[in-house]
Amino acid sequence: MIHLDNITKNYGSGETEFQALKGVSFEVPQGEYAAIMGPSGCGKSTLLNILGLMDGPTTGTYRLGGDRVDDLSDELRTGVRRDQLGFVFQSFNLLPRMTAVGNVALPMGYSRIGTEERLARANKLLKRVGLINRGSHTPLELSGGERQRVGIARALANKPDLLLADEPTGNLDSKTAVGIMNLFKELNAEGMTILVVTHDRAVADQADHVIHMMDGLVREEERR
Amino acid sequence: MMIVESIRTGAIEIWSHKTRSFLSFAAIAFGVAAILYTFAHVNEMQKRTRETFELAGPGRININKKRQRGGEESPGLSKGLTSGDAVVIKKALPNLYMVSPHLSTWAEIQYQSFREHISVKGINLEWKKRNWLYTVKGRFFNQYDIDTAARVCILNEPGGWIEKPWWMRRAKKRWGWGNKFDEWVKRVELVGRKIKLNDQIFTVIGILKNPPQDKDPRWIGRDASVLIPLSTAQRYFNDQQRGGAYVPDALSDIVIDTGDENTVDTAMQRIKNILTVRHRGEEDFDLSDWREVVSQRLSRQKEQAIQILSVGIVAILAGGVGIMNVTLATIFSRIKEIGVRRAVGATRMDILSQFVTEAMMLGALGGIAGIAMGLVGIEKLARDGADKLEALLIWHYLATLGISVFAGFIFSIFPAYQASKLDVVEALRNE
Repeated sequence: MIHLDNITKNYGSGETEFQALKGVSFEVPQGEYAAIMGPSGCGKSTLLNILGLMDGPTTGTYRLGGDRVDDLSDELRTGVRRDQLGFVFQSFNLLPRMTAVGNVALPMGYSRIGTEERLARANKLLKRVGLINRGSHTPLELSGGERQRVGIARALANKPDLLLADEPTGNLDSKTAVGIMNLFKELNAEGMTILVVTHDRAVADQADHVIHMMDGLVREEERR
Repeated sequence: MMIVESIRTGAIEIWSHKTRSFLSFAAIAFGVAAILYTFAHVNEMQKRTRETFELAGPGRININKKRQRGGEESPGLSKGLTSGDAVVIKKALPNLYMVSPHLSTWAEIQYQSFREHISVKGINLEWKKRNWLYTVKGRFFNQYDIDTAARVCILNEPGGWIEKPWWMRRAKKRWGWGNKFDEWVKRVELVGRKIKLNDQIFTVIGILKNPPQDKDPRWIGRDASVLIPLSTAQRYFNDQQRGGAYVPDALSDIVIDTGDENTVDTAMQRIKNILTVRHRGEEDFDLSDWREVVSQRLSRQKEQAIQILSVGIVAILAGGVGIMNVTLATIFSRIKEIGVRRAVGATRMDILSQFVTEAMMLGALGGIAGIAMGLVGIEKLARDGADKLEALLIWHYLATLGISVFAGFIFSIFPAYQASKLDVVEALRNE
């Protein structure tokens, strides 16, 4: 599914140039549950932005499902992001003025799916993540765990091939976090490829494949 | 993203920032109201001009006696403008639709205790052919009255107002402002009565009632207060002298209608030649072409319309800058949202069109508010509000609405483009 080959990422130029990634290579096959771990500043977030096609690498190649995606135009990258990737954020990033259903339906709007189907699918997804009867609430009326479930439902909206998550339990208490972790596990069991960036050993422990990063490099990979 | 969705998001945004939105479209609304007023004004003006033309006759020429100044008295070679002139013109140009000679003067009217100085005009039957807007009480002159120089007269009653302008009502209450003759004619039943004009006794045979003043298409307003046969006027109210001798058939002016706009120039030339010969080279008359009067009047009104229009355009421009400002402010406060939308799959075009749609909605709101303001304003402020509103067509409303929506579009393109260029990662990091 993911195939990274010698990815580097530089910020700034000249004297102030800073290399955030110094040649990262790894693979995540289809259906795998992978986790990236490492201390802050090791380049995890930069890597996730590149994986999520929100940023491009300075050098190196990135294949997603066999196709090169590192050199696409903004327009095409947006298309891949919309149709093949689902993104779960640490701080949920829901639109505060929209209801849960509206938030889940948002990506489908951008892929031009009709209103009725959008709503039907959004409701189904909310049910899938365990939020029955919360569809008409705005994010402010939901608890942290519920918000993250809405975020996951939104990430699943366009039936992505790959689910990317950035510290999905970082803003949650440990009890709620377990629920979210279980949800990820279930999704993986249903065949979804998942890549999680995390600080949390407990999250990493349930992954099949843990990638340890340090100073912009992959230090160690463990597979279970 | 789909337009419906953009509109919904826009509506939510506008609603949740009411003050900001209101301020931004208020200027647009003023502009739209001004433009709408201009449209109404111009239309009404054109309508009136058409009506005036129809009433006055398309081929109208006025011949006026030139006033003689002290020290420049005529040497007496010419007798001035006379009935003879009118007869000769009529004979030389038999195709003229109307040749109406008049003698205008002033006299003191007296009836019981009522006394007033009023204008008197001697006319013949030709007078009836143009500007006829009256309802007659009693009867009009007939040929017998003219031939025998009968001492009969017709009074010109004012049309009054359907709705009097407020300032006139107030002026009347405050200063007793008004016309005594008008009130007398309206108050007293006069048909068949005898009145005195200077020291001659006249019988009132008819009263001409004018149309209401707010519906009167004539610019110049009413004719003389009292009409008498031309021959009678020449006999009793004629003080024209030339070279020390009275001129028994003197006139003050002749109004001609050629019946066709295209013959005016040739007719004028011929009349000028005839009169120059008859007046033995003395240019003691003025020939004027009605079209000149009309075109002068029109160009003056056009200038006025352009002024109002430019005020409207400036207001809309100011409103557009307001919209630009609001769009920028909206974008700054929603950078995070832009990042989220981009992250879940909105293209740059999606973001751009969302903000442009929002601004166009603001423009539309401004347009609607402006139309409402314009309607109320025209109705309440303009003296002839009802006519003005009637003159407005559906496309005027659509055009003004279109202009304001377009202003929203144009002025939001730049800020919306800026928004669409935001870096996704940066935008997501924004709090």
